[in-house]
Amino acid sequence: MKWTRLLLFATFAALGVWAWVALHPSPEEIIRKQLQGVARAVSFGPGEGYLAKLAGAERLADFFSTNVEVRLDVPGRQEHTLASREEIQQEALAARAAAGSLSVTFPDVAVVVDAGGASAVADLTLQAKVGGQPDLIVQEMKFTLRKINSQWLIVKVETLRTLS
Amino acid sequence: MMESNSGPQEAGRCGSRLRILAIGRNPKRTLVRAVVLAMACVAFFKLALLPVRVDGISMMPAYADHSFNFINRLPYLCHEPRRGDVVGVRLNPPVGWSPPHIMFLKRVVGLPGEGVSFVKGRVRVNGRLLDEPYEKWPCDWNTAPVTLGPREYFVVGDNRTMPKEQHTFGKTDRSRIVGKALL
Repeated sequence: MKWTRLLLFATFAALGVWAWVALHPSPEEIIRKQLQGVARAVSFGPGEGYLAKLAGAERLADFFSTNVEVRLDVPGRQEHTLASREEIQQEALAARAAAGSLSVTFPDVAVVVDAGGASAVADLTLQAKVGGQPDLIVQEMKFTLRKINSQWLIVKVETLRTLS
Repeated sequence: MMESNSGPQEAGRCGSRLRILAIGRNPKRTLVRAVVLAMACVAFFKLALLPVRVDGISMMPAYADHSFNFINRLPYLCHEPRRGDVVGVRLNPPVGWSPPHIMFLKRVVGLPGEGVSFVKGRVRVNGRLLDEPYEKWPCDWNTAPVTLGPREYFVVGDNRTMPKEQHTFGKTDRSRIVGKALL
């Protein structure tokens, strides 16, 4: 009887903690969810219609600040820089037109929020699979985010060289 | 009469034996043992011996594409990585003891403080040719010498048949080396 009560108490305590964490997510948790949203928005399936492509590209651009800076330097490919939300949207549309499908995930994400809670840096691993290509693409990346109008927006994206 | 009774009795004994075999004499104790064993297995394979699937050809012929392996984190608790070790290198900086989901599988060719370069496809460490029996296919890479810091290692794949721009290799910090390939 005593054990049953204790078990019941522990269950309720665990539920309480879970509910508290779910209702009051930390900035790190919010940013992680935001980044998973970015991965979903970048990804697209085969046979997407034009409107779906447009909506996907717009949804992706919403995660970035207006003057975002994106610098992609992947070994064996030309360095590529984007300097605004509109450029990201256009690039996303072009990618959707060029590739059959794209699946992106961020499996390892480490978020550090600064002491003031106004900006954050996320170091992550990008894993991408382009439709029709046998090899997976893996790339270390760094995202800088800033809290703008109580929303975390990406202000800078850069690729990093894991081995230099 | 005897025959008609022995059937159900035998079946009962057999069922009891099966029950004991499956859940033990004391089911509560068996449950606790099973839970502890499951937790130990999860902890061991999440923290110490990480199961990995090799994806790509950069470590061929020693490690084939889509082959299965483990990254053992325990050896480097006792000693530092050695030349010739095949190691898992994480892509982003470590956070605590948590294991990464994605790693590069590479071979250590340069140790802290050494100078490493490629001359006509052969690795030179401090200017001296490195004997690499695991490298089966020759290449023609040439690179300037890289001097490693006190906690840096030089890692490279065994398969160097592709242009060097398409092969991920170079120096990495000790903190990014997760463990040693088991198989």
